[in-house]
Amino acid sequence: MLSFVLIALASLFFTGVIIRTKSITAGRKGPGIMQPVKDVIRLMKKGAVYSQTTSIVFRLAPVVYFCTVAMAALLIPFGSSRGVISFNGDFIFFAYLLGLGKFFNIIAAMDTGSSFEGMGASREALYSLFAEPAFFIILGSLALLTGNTSFYDIFSALHLGSYITYALAVLAALVLAMIAMIENSRLPIDDPKTHLELTMVHEVMILDNSGFDLGLILYAGYLKFAIFGAIIANLFTGGMSLLWALVVFVGTQFSFAVVIGLIESFMARFRMNHNAQFIFALSSVSFLIFLGVLLVLGKFI
Amino acid sequence: MTGLFLTGAYTIGGLLFVNRNKRINSLLLIAYEILLWGFTIFACFNYKHTELDYFAFDSLGILLLITLSIISIPALIHSHLYISRQGEKPQSRSIYFAAMVVLLTSISAAYLANHIAVVWIFAELTTLSASALIYHHRNKLALEGTWKYVFICAISISLVFVGILFLSLSLNQAGNKDLSFANLMAHSQELNPFWLRLAFLFIFTGFTAKIGLVPMYTAGIDAKDKAPGPAAAILSSVLMNMGFVAIFRTYAILAHTSLYHWANTIIFVAAILSIFVATVYMMKVMNIKRMFAYSSIEHMGIVMLGVAAGGIGFYAAILHVILHSFVKSSLFFQYNQVYRVFQDKNIYHLGNYFKYNPTGAVVLLFGFISATAMPPSGLFVSEFLIFRSLFEGQHLVMLLVALLLLTIIIWAFGKNILKILFTPAVGFDDSHVPHIRPLESLSQLVLLFGAVWLGLNPPAAFVHLIQDAVSILPM
Amino acid sequence: MTNILLILFIISLLYLSIANRLVTYIRVLALQGFILFGVTFLALEEINTLNLVLILLETVVFKAVAVPVFLSRLIKRNHITREAEPYLPNFVSLIITTVIVVVTVLLANSIKDTHVDKIFFIVALSSLFAGLYIIASRKKIITHVMGYLIIENGVFVLSLAVGNEMPMLVNLGVMLDIFASVLILGIFLNKIGDVFKDVNVDQLSNLKDY
Repeated sequence: MLSFVLIALASLFFTGVIIRTKSITAGRKGPGIMQPVKDVIRLMKKGAVYSQTTSIVFRLAPVVYFCTVAMAALLIPFGSSRGVISFNGDFIFFAYLLGLGKFFNIIAAMDTGSSFEGMGASREALYSLFAEPAFFIILGSLALLTGNTSFYDIFSALHLGSYITYALAVLAALVLAMIAMIENSRLPIDDPKTHLELTMVHEVMILDNSGFDLGLILYAGYLKFAIFGAIIANLFTGGMSLLWALVVFVGTQFSFAVVIGLIESFMARFRMNHNAQFIFALSSVSFLIFLGVLLVLGKFI
Repeated sequence: MTGLFLTGAYTIGGLLFVNRNKRINSLLLIAYEILLWGFTIFACFNYKHTELDYFAFDSLGILLLITLSIISIPALIHSHLYISRQGEKPQSRSIYFAAMVVLLTSISAAYLANHIAVVWIFAELTTLSASALIYHHRNKLALEGTWKYVFICAISISLVFVGILFLSLSLNQAGNKDLSFANLMAHSQELNPFWLRLAFLFIFTGFTAKIGLVPMYTAGIDAKDKAPGPAAAILSSVLMNMGFVAIFRTYAILAHTSLYHWANTIIFVAAILSIFVATVYMMKVMNIKRMFAYSSIEHMGIVMLGVAAGGIGFYAAILHVILHSFVKSSLFFQYNQVYRVFQDKNIYHLGNYFKYNPTGAVVLLFGFISATAMPPSGLFVSEFLIFRSLFEGQHLVMLLVALLLLTIIIWAFGKNILKILFTPAVGFDDSHVPHIRPLESLSQLVLLFGAVWLGLNPPAAFVHLIQDAVSILPM
Repeated sequence: MTNILLILFIISLLYLSIANRLVTYIRVLALQGFILFGVTFLALEEINTLNLVLILLETVVFKAVAVPVFLSRLIKRNHITREAEPYLPNFVSLIITTVIVVVTVLLANSIKDTHVDKIFFIVALSSLFAGLYIIASRKKIITHVMGYLIIENGVFVLSLAVGNEMPMLVNLGVMLDIFASVLILGIFLNKIGDVFKDVNVDQLSNLKDY
């Protein structure tokens, strides 16, 4: 329960920190940290407009999306306390929950009948396709390293001792961070601020949503950020005491948000056809993490 | 004596490089020939000795060294004639002769080396000197040929080095560190088979660039096309023998282990593919030098068939290697005269050679008969023995395929040579044909007759040396 | 620590397969030189100091500094365009390079010998085949040379695996490096830049069986 509360709290501030960092590096003062939350609340008070060509899928999708993300947040442990839902193999459940949410997003986008949104949906599907092996290989390697298969057991058994386990953890954190950026459609994969036809990926999928639905989708996005930040923090808080774990958690979320803000300020988005190779490169690097784990385990002298 | 030979030869090479005077050039070349022959005779008298820890005068080395010494005489003479006719700058002449001397010395050192790393070092030196020879004319096409040769040989040498590393890994288990061939053969049963397999693969693939087999034969084709005639003769006879020696000695290590049949399979595959490639290209080639180059590949494929077949094939392979050197080098020496008459390499523009140079035409005809292994050529004997060893080894499919491909090659080779000799040339203006002295074809006739004599009536010492060379292999 | 450096080496190989510009290739080669310096320092403890200092100097001075500087000067002098022109799209190159690494790992798994450090073997063979692939899949001549340098790096890593028992072999490998690099880079690429106006491999197809 503790982790769920912490993730919910972190999600309130995460995007605000990102936007604030971007503003400060651009020389502006920028909106307040709670501005995204206020946007969501504003949207939730409004009514929604549904297009004539859509069906029940379009109305169902934002709810399903939000519910899957919220349920995924229930799986993440924190320090020495389990997540609300925790069983063997729950990281596979986690990945496919997020996949279910994304699937509903995609079919809702195609439901609108706009080829524009269909294009965004296909791109989104492609990037998730390439990012999935990376996620599974990393978590599989960690499972192999610790001999357990549930989030809580993996992270609590993960003792970072030697050079190589530290290096592997750092590398895994980097890859997970990039996966988080891909899942949330941030730079350098997808620019959330662009509204040019040829370059939108995620934004174009939610173009037709409005009102409460849009608020749900936006908030689910913030939650996903916080979830991935929590996973990264968990890599380092193996068996720490509550206070230290809290410090590491807050520090990781904050620095993750700042780093995303910096990346968004200083990097342009990759060319569209370079995106695929970048994401696949993550899978290749995660294969190397797997190799490193084999080395550590001595299955490979 | 080996140290003396090497230092003397490389010094002569260095002197040739800096010298610009024609007469001193000739004197230095004569001095080099005397040194080379002196070393050869010394090696014959010191049979089975080891010098400087790394050079052993074993049978195979001495046989090939004598071959090299015999071929080097016409090579240097024809180079001298070629260069003086071209009216070249002294600088390019000095580079040419220095490179040729360095090449011949490195090859002879590689023949005698009994440590694989020493073979490797001298193979690198041959790459360097051969590329200087190929680049002699310094035009665009020569640059292209040189670049291809250098690049592919560099990659091949790296592959050989990886093979040597694997060989040392396989030796680790035997608790030994000496990578000489004698030591490796003595401990061949204790070598780790996994590493030995990899080592053989890499060493074999690397040295196919020198011997001219699939997969790295491509370097040699362009090289022999672009190098001046006498240099191409050296490249396609003695240099290929160096590749053969390296592969043969490595193969001998594997022949006594459990990997014998696997190694034979690998060599069979490479040999048959090489003959196949040679057949395909011989049918469509229009450049006479490239035709000779592809013929060399075919012959090396036949040699390796003999090595892989075993039995009498070992003897036949070494016989074939020596005889092929004589025949192929004489063909390349004759090529220069063809070019002097016609000023063109394209077979379409050549013809009626008998009219312009009867002696040379006889050489070409006889060389064709020898190269396609028709009697009375000595190559007939060796090829027949190789086919017999294939038959005795129950490799009937291989034998049939090889015979079929060789028939096609004889047809392609014959079609081209007979056209050059008898059919009138297309659009050839024969008013300015220079008179070619028959004396210049003498060296080639000597070489060809030597090949016949060695094949049909070999001296006892010769047979004894070959039999001793193959005694290290399982019978 | 050696393992981390070698994994970093493989990551650099993967990065090389998707790199677009020639400058990136040169930077990756310099990075590989530094990684090899670290690995040499950590791996070769049992050979004598003089030998070790020579090998260290060779990796740092030659691989990490001299060759990249020389290559960038070559690019400027011959006005070679920035882009490394591949025959296959970068995505396919990445997949092929990953497959090469996976196959090498599987091959290394079948080694029963416990004396040798398998990670060296994996890195060496991956670099060898990745270098061969880079040579085969790029148009420019200078990328061929860079592919050859990657092969050399792989051969060097393999020689480190046996280096402790036989330092002579490491010296030979160093010699190969210097010889081949000087020969190929120094002499011929300059000539090629002078003679051919557009340093593509297409220019090198004039020697045919006409």
